[in-house]
Amino acid sequence: MNGVAELLRHPALWRGGDAVAPDTIPTGFRALDACLPGGGWPLATLIELLVPAAGVGEVRLLLPALRRLTTAAGAEPRWVAWLAPPHLPYAPALADAGLDPARMLVVRPRAGSDRLWAMEQALRSGACAAVLGWAGGADDRVLRRLKLAAEEGGTPAFLLRPVAHRSEGSPAALRVVLAARDFGLDVEILKSRGGAPARVERLPIH
Amino acid sequence: MLEGGPAPIAPAAGSRRHALVPVPTPRTPPAPAVGDLWLAAHFPRLPLDALLPGNGRERAAAVTDPDDSRGVVVACNERASRQGIAPGMALQAALARVPGLRVESRCPAAETALLDRLGRWALQFTPVVSLEPPGAVLAEVRGSLDLFGGAMALLRRSLAGLSANGLVASLAMAPTPRAALWLARAELAMTVTRADALPGLASRLPLACLHWPEGTVATLAALGIRSVADLLRLPRAGFATRFGPRLLDELDEGLGRRPAPRRRHVVPERFDERLELPGAVETAAALEPALERGLVRLEDFLRQRASGIHLLRVDFLHRGHAPTRLSLPLARMAADASGLRVLLGERLARCRLEAPAVAVRMRSGVLLPLVIRDAGLFERGRSADPDSTARLLDLLRARLGHDAVFCVLPVPEHRPERAFRIAEPGGAAGLPMSWPAVRPARPLWMLAEPQPLDGWDGTFVTGPERIETGWWDGHDVRRDYYVAVSRAGVRLWIFRERPPGQGWFLHGVFG
Repeated sequence: MNGVAELLRHPALWRGGDAVAPDTIPTGFRALDACLPGGGWPLATLIELLVPAAGVGEVRLLLPALRRLTTAAGAEPRWVAWLAPPHLPYAPALADAGLDPARMLVVRPRAGSDRLWAMEQALRSGACAAVLGWAGGADDRVLRRLKLAAEEGGTPAFLLRPVAHRSEGSPAALRVVLAARDFGLDVEILKSRGGAPARVERLPIH
Repeated sequence: MLEGGPAPIAPAAGSRRHALVPVPTPRTPPAPAVGDLWLAAHFPRLPLDALLPGNGRERAAAVTDPDDSRGVVVACNERASRQGIAPGMALQAALARVPGLRVESRCPAAETALLDRLGRWALQFTPVVSLEPPGAVLAEVRGSLDLFGGAMALLRRSLAGLSANGLVASLAMAPTPRAALWLARAELAMTVTRADALPGLASRLPLACLHWPEGTVATLAALGIRSVADLLRLPRAGFATRFGPRLLDELDEGLGRRPAPRRRHVVPERFDERLELPGAVETAAALEPALERGLVRLEDFLRQRASGIHLLRVDFLHRGHAPTRLSLPLARMAADASGLRVLLGERLARCRLEAPAVAVRMRSGVLLPLVIRDAGLFERGRSADPDSTARLLDLLRARLGHDAVFCVLPVPEHRPERAFRIAEPGGAAGLPMSWPAVRPARPLWMLAEPQPLDGWDGTFVTGPERIETGWWDGHDVRRDYYVAVSRAGVRLWIFRERPPGQGWFLHGVFG
C-alpha cells in the first residue's frame, strides 16, 4: 500500500483525474466539496441542477458560492444574472445572504425561446460572476451552446431543470440531482467531469 | 465727483493732464473692431412669449417674477398694455386695473430655451451669433450685408421673420455689440456704422438701456444723470472708484475703446442622414445594406469628432404613411458600428414595418466626448468590466424589451410585500442605511400575491413572527408568519391572518 502511494507521487506519472480537474470555487459545504473534482463547483462551464420542485433548496445551496464569486477582496461587487426565475427574487433575503441586490440582474423574458438565448448572451458577455437559469426541456444542441458560451465568457452557468430530465443526455460538466430530506438537502452527483458519481446526504442548508 | 473734473469719460483734449489717475483712458480709440457690424435683437416681452407663444391677443395677460416678493409685472401683452398695464407695475395695481388679467409666473427654463431657438434663427444670417441673456441675441452681420441687400433690408427681413412668429423685438445695428444692445433696448431702430458716431447718440440713450443694477441707476438718477451722455461727462477715475471698474469697462466696450470678445452660440452637432433605398422595401432583411451604410457613415462621423452617442434613432419613411420610428437608447456610450449593428439587428427582428419603406433616416442623440480608458496590464478576462455589463444590458433589452431586465432593491419596511422595489440595475449600493443586522429569516422567492393554502398539513420549523399594522397608508396587516416545510420538502414562508379563521396563506419560498 505504501509503495503505491509512493509510486503515485512520481513526477513522471500522469493521472487523468489531475489533468481534467477544472478551476473550481468551494461550494461552502465541506461534505459536498469532498465529492467534487477540484473541491468545488467548476468554473467556466455548464452545471446542471435537477430539482423535484422549485424551492427544495437549490438557491440556498448556491448562496455561499455566489457570495464568494461576487465579492472579491477590494474589487467592486460583480454581477449575477438570474434568468427566468420561477418567482421574483426577494431583495431583503438577498441582502441578508450577503449579496448586493443592485448587482443581481433579473431577466424575465416573455417567450420561452428567449430564455436560453438570454442565458447564452449573459454567459458569453463575461459580464457576470455567475449565471443562474431556469429552463424546462432543452435539447442537446442548446445545452452544448450554453456550455460553449460559459467556456467562452469564463462564467459558471447553473442551469436548473426539473428532475424529469435526469435520464436525458447532457453535455454539462457536472450534473446533480437535489432532493429535500429532514430539513437538509440530498445531493446526488450523476456525472462530473474528472470525478465519479457520488451521493451526499442531508446537507445543512439554511 | 459731479464737479466735473477735466477728465471726462469721453476722451477729450486735456485729459492727459492727469497722468496719474488710476484708470487711464485707452490712448488710441483703436480698431473699432475693423468693420464689425453687430445686429442686436432685444425681446422685451420674452418672459411672456416663452410661456404663451402666439397667444396674447384675445385676453390681457401678464407675467410676474415669483422670486420677486413685491409681485411686479415683468412683461405683458399688447392688450394688457392698451388697458394701462406696463412692466414694472405692481401686480396688485395691475389686477385692480384689469380684473380679468391672466397672470403667469415666469419660467426661466422656457426663456432660456426660447433664446436658444432665437440664436439658431439668427444663424441663418451669419455664423457669428452670441446670446445675451436674459432677452437679447447678437449677430455680427457685416459680411452678410451684400447677400441680404444691405442693412435696411436685413433689418426688415429679420423683423418680418420674428413678428411672423408672434415675437415682439426691437432691432438695431452698431459697430460694437454693446452699443447695438443699448440702441435696441432704447428702441432706437437705427443702424450706426461708425464707432465715432456713437458718442453723438449718447444723449438719446437713457440709463435704463444699460441694464445696470437698480441701486446704481437710482444713485446716478439722484445725481441728476439721465442719459449715457451725462455719464460720459463724469471723471473716469472718480466713476471707477465709486461704481467699480467693471461698469467703466462696459462703457468703453460700448464705445469701441476696448475690445469685448463674446462667446459664440454653437448649435450642438448631431448625426442626421437620409439613406435612400433601392425601391420600396418590405422586409427587415432587405433594409440591412442601407442600415449598414448608415452605420459605417455614423462610425466615421463619430471617429472624426472623437465622440460617442447615447441614443440612436432610426426612422423608416413610407409613402403616404407616418414613419415607423425606432429609438435605441444605450446604457453604454457607443462609438463604433459593431455594437450598434448587433443591437439594431435585434430591434429590427422584433419590429414590423407598417408599410413598405422608401428611405431610412438615421439620427444620433447629442455627441459626447469619448473617454479612452487604458486597459490595466493585469486586469484581463475575469475582472468586472463595466462596459461588458452595459453591453449585455443593451443587448438583452433590445430583444426582450426594457422592462424585462431589472434588479430588485430592498426597502426598509416591515410589511414583507412592500420591502422591495423594482429598480434600474447597477445603481448605487443596494442596501439602505438602516438595515437590520439580525432578524428572522426571509425567503428568497416572494410570491406576487399571497396564495391560500387549502388543507395545510406540513411541518412548522420556526414561528410565529408577528408582523402587523400599516393603518397609515390603508394597507393594514395583522399576520403571524411561520417557516414551514411542505410534504414535498419545500421550505415555505406561510402566514395566518389574525384573529385566526381565514386559514393559511403561502407568501414565500425559501428556494
